[in-house]
Amino acid sequence: MEFLNDVLVQPFADMAAAPDFLLQVLWEGLVGGVLYALIALGFVLIYKSSRIFNFAQGIMVVFAALTLVGLYEKGVPALLALPLTLAVMLVLAMTIERVVLRPLVNQPDIILFMATIGITLFLIGFGELIFGGENKVMITEQLFIPTGSIVFEPFGGFVSIEEKDLTAVIGAMVLVAALLVFLNKSKIGRAIRALGDDHQAALSVGISLSTIWVIVWFIAGVIALATGIVWGARAGVSFALEVIAFKALPVLMLGGLESVMGAIIGGLAIGILEKLFEIYWGQPLLGGNTEAWFAYMLALLVLLFRPQGLFGEKIIERV
Amino acid sequence: MNPRPDPNQLTAPDDGIARGGVLLDVKNVSLSFGGVKAITDISLDVLKGEIRAIIGPNGAGKTSMLNVINGFYTPQEGAIIFRGRERRSMKPHEAVGQGIARTFQNVALFKGMSTLDNIMAGRSVMMKRNIGWQMLWHGPALREEIEHREKVEEIIDFLEIQHIRRTPVGKLPYGLQKRVELGRALAMEPTLLLLDEPMAGMNLEEKEDMSRFIIDVNQQRGTTIALIEHDMGVVMDLSDRVVVLDYGKKIADGPPDEVKNNQDVIDAYLGVPH
Amino acid sequence: MFYRTAGQFKTSYQADHALFPVRQDAFLLGVILIFAFVIFPLTASEFTFRALLIPVLIYSLAALGLNILTGYAGQLSLGTGAFMGVGAYACYKLITIFPEMNIVVAIAMSGFFSAAIGVLFGLPSLRIKGFYLAIATLAAQFFLVWLFQKWAWLYNYNASGAIQVPNIEMFGITVAGPRATAITQYYFVLCVVCVITFFAINITRGRIGRMWKAVRDMDIAAELVGINLMRSKLMAFFVSSYVVGIAGALFVFLWRGAAEANLFDIPLSFRVLFIAIIGGLGSILGNFLGAILIVALPVIIGSVPQAFGIPLDSAMVEHLNIMIIGALIIAFLIIEPHGLARFWAMIREKFILWPFPH
Repeated sequence: MEFLNDVLVQPFADMAAAPDFLLQVLWEGLVGGVLYALIALGFVLIYKSSRIFNFAQGIMVVFAALTLVGLYEKGVPALLALPLTLAVMLVLAMTIERVVLRPLVNQPDIILFMATIGITLFLIGFGELIFGGENKVMITEQLFIPTGSIVFEPFGGFVSIEEKDLTAVIGAMVLVAALLVFLNKSKIGRAIRALGDDHQAALSVGISLSTIWVIVWFIAGVIALATGIVWGARAGVSFALEVIAFKALPVLMLGGLESVMGAIIGGLAIGILEKLFEIYWGQPLLGGNTEAWFAYMLALLVLLFRPQGLFGEKIIERV
Repeated sequence: MNPRPDPNQLTAPDDGIARGGVLLDVKNVSLSFGGVKAITDISLDVLKGEIRAIIGPNGAGKTSMLNVINGFYTPQEGAIIFRGRERRSMKPHEAVGQGIARTFQNVALFKGMSTLDNIMAGRSVMMKRNIGWQMLWHGPALREEIEHREKVEEIIDFLEIQHIRRTPVGKLPYGLQKRVELGRALAMEPTLLLLDEPMAGMNLEEKEDMSRFIIDVNQQRGTTIALIEHDMGVVMDLSDRVVVLDYGKKIADGPPDEVKNNQDVIDAYLGVPH
Repeated sequence: MFYRTAGQFKTSYQADHALFPVRQDAFLLGVILIFAFVIFPLTASEFTFRALLIPVLIYSLAALGLNILTGYAGQLSLGTGAFMGVGAYACYKLITIFPEMNIVVAIAMSGFFSAAIGVLFGLPSLRIKGFYLAIATLAAQFFLVWLFQKWAWLYNYNASGAIQVPNIEMFGITVAGPRATAITQYYFVLCVVCVITFFAINITRGRIGRMWKAVRDMDIAAELVGINLMRSKLMAFFVSSYVVGIAGALFVFLWRGAAEANLFDIPLSFRVLFIAIIGGLGSILGNFLGAILIVALPVIIGSVPQAFGIPLDSAMVEHLNIMIIGALIIAFLIIEPHGLARFWAMIREKFILWPFPH
C-alpha cells in the first residue's frame, strides 16, 4: 500500500507542491529532447536516402565538436574554425562515400550497419589521436552564444532558463525548418526522397547515387556540428559524450526510422519523460541514474504495441 | 495430355476421405485489408485426389485465397472445412501439421542453406528428438536424422536434383529453385499441396518438366493439388476442375472445357469495363 | 595435394553425417588440439596465457554464443556484454552462497540464469524484427548494467561495488582466485570451450540448426513449412544466452579475477560482436579466428613499434588500437563480408582442387 502510494500518488503530489520546480524539470527535459531529436534527424536523413542504419551519427556529433574546439585550441580563430570544421565534415562525407559506402553497395543491411560501427570506432580513435582524449570546453563565447540566464518567477517560485539553452532550442527550430523546406521544395531534396523509396528506380531516372550520398552525409555532418556545439556548451566536449549516440536509437525506434516528424516528436518526448521519471520516480525510489535505460524501456514498450514505431508506416506482410 | 484415371477407382491412402470426396470446403469466405476487399464471398471445394486450378487476372485474389487456405490470413467472414473439421483461425505452422503444404509465387527458399538442408527443413515438424540428443549427435538424434535423410534423398531422386544437393540454393537458377521448393513442400508429405504459380518465369522445357512432376506427385503419391497458374495451356491440360476469380469474386467454376467457353471468363481476360 | 578428397567415398548416410566427412579436416583439427593441449602449455609464458591464450578462448566462447543468435537465427543482439554479466554475477552469488559447490557446477548453473534473462528480453523478437529488435537487446544492456551497479545484494554489499573472486579449489587444485596458476586456468577454460563447441557444432548442423537458419533466411517461409517461430526464436535466445553467460562466468572467474559493473558495458558487447562479424556470422570456426585477431591486435600494436625503436605511450596505443579495429572492420566487410571463416573455406577449396585452377 505504501509502495503504491510512493509510485502512484507521491510523485504527483510533489509536482503539484512545487510547480516552479516542475517547470524547471520540464524545460531541462525539453532541451535534452531537442538534442536527441537533432541526432535522430541526421540519422533519419541517412536512413531515408540510403537505407543505412547509421550508428556513427552520434559520434559524428562529438567528432564535429571536437574538431571545432581542437582547431580553436591550435590557434585558429573561432570564426574561421567554424567554416573549417564544416569543410572537415564535407571531406568526411566524401571519404565515407568513397571508401565505405561505394564498395558496400547492395550488401545486406546488417553489413552496412556494422560498417558504420567501424566508422564510429575509427572516428573515436582518430579524433582522440589528433585532439587528445581529455574533456574540452566548448567555445561558446567566441561563437557569440549568450551565456547568461533568464529568471522567471511563476507561481511565486523560481525558474531559471540558460540563454545558451534557449539559443539551442531556437537554433534547432530554425535548422529543422530549413531542412524541411530543403527536402520538400528543392530538386536535391526530391532526389533524396526518391532514393529512399527505390534505389534502382531513382538511378534509372538519372539521379546520381554518389552525389546524393555525399550531400546527405554532409547535411548529417552539419546537423552533427550544430548538435555538438549546443551539447558541448552544456556538458563539455569529449568522447564520453558518445552515450548520446545511443540515446538517438530509442528516439528513432519511437518515432519510426523514416519519419522526420517522428524523430522530432520522439526526441522531445523521450527528453521530457526521462527527466520527469528520473526526478520524481528514479531518484526517490530506484537510486537514480535511471536515464541510462529509461528511453530504451519506453521504446521497447511502445514497439511491443506498435512494431513500426509511432510514426512508421504499417508493415503488411506478404508472400 | 494422357487421360486421367477415374478418381473414384482408387482408394484413399489415409484420413478416411474417399478419393473424390470433399477434402477442403471453403464456404462464403471474405477477406479485406483495411478498406480494400481482397476476397468477396467466395466458395469453392477441392476434392480428394484432384488437381484444382485457381485462375484469374492479376489482383483477382488468387494468392490471398491460398493464404487463407493455409492460415496465413484469417478471413473476416466464412468458414473453412478441411478433412471434415471446421476452423476459423490457425497459425500457418499448424496448417503443416494438418497436412497442407505450399510453394510460393516468388520463390521463398532459405537462401543461405543447401538444397539438402532446405528439403530437410521441410521435415522439421516430423523430427522430434530434443536438444540433449542433438548436442551429442548420437543415438536417437542420429538415427532420426538418417531416417529423414533417406526420405529426402527419395525426393531428390524423384525431382532429379541430385547434382545440386550441396549447393546453396541462392546460387541456383530460377527454374531449379522452383524445383527445390516443390521438393521442400513434398518433404512435408502433405495431403493437400498448394502451388502458387509453379511455372512462372520458366522456359518451355522447364515447364514440361514441372508439369510432369506435378502429374507424378498427383498420381503416384495420391496428393491433392490446388494450383494457381497463368499459362492457360498448362492449366487446361493439367487440371481436373478450374475456378476463375476476378476482382475478388468467383465468376466461374467447372471442368476446363466449360470454363474456357464461359462468357464472363472471356470478358475478364479480355477486359470489359466494370 | 594435401587436401585431396578424391577417393573418399561415403557408403552410408551415417558416414556422410560424421563430424568431419573429409579426412584432412579431422587431421588438421587433431594438430590444432595437440598444439592447444600440449605444445602451448609447454612453451607459453605467464604473460602469453593471461594476455593471449585465455582471453582468446573466452572471447571465442562469447562470440560463439552471440553467433548462435545472430549468425544462425538471424536475431541481432547488441547486449552480449550484459548477458555475460548476468552469468558472472550469478556465478558469484552461487559460489558465495554455496561455498561447497563445485565450480564446474556453479558455472554450468550460472548459464541458466543468463539464459532465462535472455529469453525474457528475447520475447519482443516475436513482434519486433531487424534493427527494431536491436533496441530490445540494448534495453537489456543498459538496464542490466544499471542493475549490477544499484543492486548491492549482487556484489554482497562490498564497499568497492566490485565482485572479487575467492580462491576456489577443485580436486585439491586451485582453479580460480588469486592463488590459481595461469596454466590450470588455461586448461580449465580450454576444456569448457572444447565441450561447448562440440555441442554447438552438433546443434547447429541438425534439426534445430536448420530451423534457426530457416528463420534467419526467411521467417515467413519458415512458418509456412511448419516451423514454430516463437519456439525457435526463444530457443535461440536460450541457447545463445546460456553460452554467453558461461563465457561471462569464465571471463571473471578464470581470467579477470574481479569485475565492476561497467566492465560489462557496451564496449564489451561490441567487442564480442566484432569478433563474430570479423570471424564470420553463421560459422563456428569464425569465432575463434575473429577472437585471435581482436585479442592479438592490441598486443601487436603495442609491441611492433617498440621493436622498431619507436616508443608509444599507452594512451596512444589505445587510440591507435581503436582506430585500426574500426578500419579493419570496414576493410573486412568490403573484402569479405562473410568473414575470416569464408576466407578459410576459399583457401581450403583451392587446396582441394590444387594444382588445377578450377
